[in-house]
Amino acid sequence: MVIKTDVLVIGAGPAGSTAAKHAASGGAKVLLMDKKSEIGAPKRCAEGVSNGGLESLGIEHNPRWITRELDGVRLIAPDGTNVWLTSDKVDLPEAGCILERKVFDKYMAMDAARAGAEIKIKTLATRMERNDEGFLVDAECMDEKFQIQAKIVIAADGPESRVARWAGLRTAVKPKDMESAAQFEMAGVQMENNKCIEFYFGSVAPGGYAWVFPKGDDIANVGLGILTTITDKSAYEHLLEFVKNCPATQNAQPVELNIGGDPVGGLPKKMATDNLMVVGDAAGQVNPLTGGGIISGMTGGMIAGKVAAEAIEENDFSEKKMKKYEKECRETIGDSINKYLKVKDYMMTLNDDELNSIADVFKDSDFEKVSTGELVKNLVKVSPKALIKLGKLF
Amino acid sequence: MIVKEWCMYCGECAGVCPRNLIEVRELTLKFTEEHCKECSLCIQVCPVKALEQE
Ligand SMILES: Cc1cc2nc3c(=O)[nH]c(=O)nc-3n(C[C@H](O)[C@H](O)[C@H](O)COP(=O)(O)OP(=O)(O)OC[C@H]3O[C@@H](n4cnc5c(N)ncnc54)[C@H](O)[C@@H]3O)c2cc1C
Ligand code: SF4
Ligand code: SF4
Repeated sequence: MVIKTDVLVIGAGPAGSTAAKHAASGGAKVLLMDKKSEIGAPKRCAEGVSNGGLESLGIEHNPRWITRELDGVRLIAPDGTNVWLTSDKVDLPEAGCILERKVFDKYMAMDAARAGAEIKIKTLATRMERNDEGFLVDAECMDEKFQIQAKIVIAADGPESRVARWAGLRTAVKPKDMESAAQFEMAGVQMENNKCIEFYFGSVAPGGYAWVFPKGDDIANVGLGILTTITDKSAYEHLLEFVKNCPATQNAQPVELNIGGDPVGGLPKKMATDNLMVVGDAAGQVNPLTGGGIISGMTGGMIAGKVAAEAIEENDFSEKKMKKYEKECRETIGDSINKYLKVKDYMMTLNDDELNSIADVFKDSDFEKVSTGELVKNLVKVSPKALIKLGKLF
Repeated sequence: MIVKEWCMYCGECAGVCPRNLIEVRELTLKFTEEHCKECSLCIQVCPVKALEQE
């Protein structure tokens, strides 16, 4: 059996569903497939997003998928020095919220369905082959094996990024660019301010950071990401150590364990070829400093979906046409990804003592507003090393 | 490759396999063993140490 479609989106994460929604709204016949039996579960995410990011995608807040509105950020140095960036201290704290990804991801897929996309769940893409009409994709749903003929494939298969590689793009991630992450969702978490997201820096999480993201008065995602190139312990082992020592989790109990990879090496050299675009984590569309990839992946998905609809209308699936996506993508999210890549590289050079002394200056600084960019600007002011490496960028 | 019973099918191993040999299904992990060059990158990145070279 061969199913024919204009656009096949492989992977119904936030990036894929957004691509499917925009391609379908633009008039293309769209098929969105995911191997999971439940879109959005299990989550591989700490679930934090900025309100500005959702707004830029035209998505209105919905109580179905928001668990917590945030009031600020707390940074914790290795020696325990706190930097509080909350609304009582800062004029314009970065507004954000914590999602319930299991609901959010489904909601985004429902949006795609409402725009006209057909959805196949529990359906895995196993390989694909280029032909005159685009790609012929092998798929499996339980005991059924079939093929899908698509004029355009949008690869949205997350950090595995196998699909784009089937088309010859080089999207494999090196271990030094892949955060290995583990997280508990916990109850009984005693947060000093349960409307604040907390970041713990230093040797608690080599090559990354640990976080406590509140989802309720005493509920939080407690996790960390590490680089396995600089520690022998697994992310899970680091997590066990972290919750054993963190004051907030002394009486907390886990109700969920989440693990996963987060590609933090920046965008690959090529994100499009004839009849194919790659979006989201599969294309490294992640802020390399924070690991946040929901908004940037959805932005990539939105651009790809629009270009796909245009291409179908014009009957042009050439690499030249697909590159329109790549160009717009580099303009909207690529520049900032490149900048934060440099900040991440700089942060990696800091030892615990250096982090402590930066926190010591930061704790009494006046910030006008809090955003990742604003923090780096202040970092450049207090650290000569940061000034040399990042002064020109921020 | 030995896949331990506690694998959670997160797919991180598949993302780093330079040869794209790891198929992550919802509840199974399949390796195209004959092309494996035993670089161990998949084993290295696993957040729960669920892989072991045979
Ligand atoms: C521990 C952790 C914490 C994080 N915290 C945050 C955070 O707080 N904020 C933030 O913004 N980002 C965070 N991220 C990153 C964020 O989760 C990702 O950037 C985001 O999920 C990427 O979306 P996506 O749609 O590209 O991919 P995914 O959400 O990974 O979706 C990919 C989909 O493709 C499907 N798929 C894969 N292969 C196939 C196939 N062959 N056939 C069919 N379907 C397939 C998968 O089942 C999956 O549903 C975190 C990541 C990790 C690991
Ligand atoms: S990285 Fe580990 S837990 Fe994740 S799919 Fe691979 S073997 Fe399983
Ligand atoms: S050992 Fe290397 S080649 Fe073999 S499956 Fe693992 S990552 Fe791929």
